[in-house]
Amino acid sequence: MKKLIFWAILLRLLVAAFLFHPDIKTYNFQASFLKKGVFNIYTYLVDNKKSLTLKDDFVYFPLTYFAVGGYQWAASPIMGTGFDSWLADASSTSVVGNPNIFKYLVVLKLPYLILDIWIAFLLKKFFDKKEDGEKAFIFWLFNPFTIYLIYAFSNIDIYPVLLTLVAFLLLKKDKLMQASAIIGLAAGFKLYPILFIPFLVLKGKDLKEKLLVGVIPTLILTAIVLPFWSPAFIQSAFVSGLTTRIFNPGFSIGFGESMIVSLLAMSLLFFYGWLVEKKLNLFNYWVILLLAIFSFSHFHIAWLLWIAPFAVILSVKKPQLSLPLFLIAVLSLLIPMFYEDRSMAISLFRIYSTWYDLIPTPFAILEKFYNPYNLQSILHSIMAGGSLIVGYKLLRREETK
Amino acid sequence: MKKMIWLTSLFVIFLVFIVPGMLASTLDIIPYGDQPGYNSNQRLAVYGERTVSQKFISTEKNLAAIGTSIRNPNLKNKKEIILSLYDEDKNLVRTLTLNGQNFQDGDFVKFVFPEISDSEGKIYTFTISSPLAGPEETVEVFYFGGATENILEYTYDEKSYPGGLPIVTFYKPNSKLEVIKKVYSNWLSRLL
Repeated sequence: MKKLIFWAILLRLLVAAFLFHPDIKTYNFQASFLKKGVFNIYTYLVDNKKSLTLKDDFVYFPLTYFAVGGYQWAASPIMGTGFDSWLADASSTSVVGNPNIFKYLVVLKLPYLILDIWIAFLLKKFFDKKEDGEKAFIFWLFNPFTIYLIYAFSNIDIYPVLLTLVAFLLLKKDKLMQASAIIGLAAGFKLYPILFIPFLVLKGKDLKEKLLVGVIPTLILTAIVLPFWSPAFIQSAFVSGLTTRIFNPGFSIGFGESMIVSLLAMSLLFFYGWLVEKKLNLFNYWVILLLAIFSFSHFHIAWLLWIAPFAVILSVKKPQLSLPLFLIAVLSLLIPMFYEDRSMAISLFRIYSTWYDLIPTPFAILEKFYNPYNLQSILHSIMAGGSLIVGYKLLRREETK
Repeated sequence: MKKMIWLTSLFVIFLVFIVPGMLASTLDIIPYGDQPGYNSNQRLAVYGERTVSQKFISTEKNLAAIGTSIRNPNLKNKKEIILSLYDEDKNLVRTLTLNGQNFQDGDFVKFVFPEISDSEGKIYTFTISSPLAGPEETVEVFYFGGATENILEYTYDEKSYPGGLPIVTFYKPNSKLEVIKKVYSNWLSRLL
């Protein structure tokens, strides 16, 4: 067991040290202001935009700022004196040429490693049978998808992902209130877990419990967000393009109205759970909800981590679904590679050489003989078809608790 | 389970150690250094008879391209943009024509031409012009003052000044293996 964990960590450190997505520098630059005593990062960035070298808004929720900033404060003695100027460096060339970049990346990604390994141990607890737990443990530690998603893309979403898994462990023990509180806390990092509250409400035994289950996470999230509530927070994080992308309009129904496909799917699921389902299995509903989001929205690659631990659980509980889930995962990772965004593919390797800037993106290569958006649509449609059938199978059978 | 561990380990090893080499093998030309910094407010307009010339030293053999940042305000220029390359004796050695509609405002534009095998250490001058463009279809190049190791002087409105356009020169490598070796050795030298 120890050898396996050691090997799993080594593999992760390799990807952490050598693959670089610029987001890690951007949000760490923003979080570095916590060391300087800045509490409200949203207004600070908007007010000081002119004088800052990196002008992006802070798009995450407050707990992410405090988690990243707090860790950075604790780790700053290891980072050395040049670290803050590296964070503030706006030149894309000197940033990757910095001889300390390997150290910076490993140290900055260390919390993800801890949370990642922690998730592996939590997954073990999810199963009554020891062998199943160990299978899930290995699936989590040794699958290429999560290593790539967490360490190549410096995926900050691992904080809410861990918390949603904790919430499901509590649900397994019928601790609905505590689970809803954890969901509220997770939403303090990133808003998506809040989408699950309506389903938690459905699970409530009586009106009082239903009310509490709905109110507790809302209150926790409100308490987290309230001190920061400002036009800057609303624009940067609350209604930012990334937060609201799930609800992008789908097709027109005339007179300016549109049908929002992912919301329609969520609504169908909710009403099905309410009016048709006899015994609600929240795990299945969470998986279906996430599959619906990925099927019907232009998702960010980082979002795929949201479903990863649950897909591992599903693969162990229902081995017949592992191959379809594997294929869906491959398709989901392929789609963003064809976005017109260098950092989805080639730029991840800029640490090795900035000469790679000369290499055209998969989008540009494909564009010469085929419309890349068509290919994205084809891959997305196949992925959505597979996801819908997996969802259908989960709704039909209620074995996954 | 063992298969899963093997496959994942191979995936990571492939990603970290093999992919960089594969990417390097796709490079047909490699740059000499980084683009020099410049002030985005310092620009020279190019249209009609207004041209800009730049004298530079080719640091390597097989000079194969010259790149610089060009503004095409409001993408108005859809005319030919010509780069003419002269050797030290003012012989025209290469001519490249691009169209303004092919690049966005502020793009780093590369003029790629058949390589000049004996270019190492030689002085060249190139001229950028857009003879068919009127004053409304101007393109702008950036410039900086003070000569560098290889960017010597520029000429505009028949006057010459030290420094010039923030250019990057590109060279055709001798072999793919040479590029792969350079990429890995650069990476390792920073790592160790």
